[in-house]
Amino acid sequence: MAEHLANRLKAEREARGWTQAELAARVGVSRKTINTIENGVFVPSTITALKIAGAFGLSVEQLFSIAR
Amino acid sequence: MRNVADVEKAERLGRSRSRVFFMMALVFLLQQSVYFSAPSARDNSQFRIGAWLILVALMLLLIGTGGFLLKGWKVLDLLNDEASRHNRLKSQAFGFWGAMAAAITIYLTAIYQPVDLKLALHVIVTGGIGVALLSFAALERRAYRLG
Repeated sequence: MAEHLANRLKAEREARGWTQAELAARVGVSRKTINTIENGVFVPSTITALKIAGAFGLSVEQLFSIAR
Repeated sequence: MRNVADVEKAERLGRSRSRVFFMMALVFLLQQSVYFSAPSARDNSQFRIGAWLILVALMLLLIGTGGFLLKGWKVLDLLNDEASRHNRLKSQAFGFWGAMAAAITIYLTAIYQPVDLKLALHVIVTGGIGVALLSFAALERRAYRLG
């Protein structure tokens, strides 16, 4: 069965009232990277996933999960 | 942590880069179409051979570095971040398959008629570089437009 990485980036970002560019600045990546992760097009590296989770003050598991 | 202005600047540069890659692909393919359609363009003049080699080297540098001309910009790390590097690797893989498709086409053609070696190499290089440039431009444009 195909597995993919689900994420709560958009929900957490919008809950904080941040734009994609604001989140990108906090993480130190481009807006495009945030956009492609949010839309499930791009699976981030462990380093970027940790940085994003750190920006939200969450754990990686709270932000990303495996969907079947 | 970066500031939003840097992120927005990288965004503008990245969008421009995807347009430049698209235009470079068109220029390269147009230049190659002249070579294929006009027999006079296939003479062995050193100028023509040198110009083509320089053009190919420039295109390969673009594909290999994601825009070496942007070196020195302080937002280069944002411009060439993880998603861009991923798209570049994907486009290089597409370029490889483009070159392989061109090579197999020439091989099949050569069964029925002789194919000039220089012409065959032009076709393979054009297939590889053209597909890589176009696919990088397409992947980047798609990444900016999502959402």
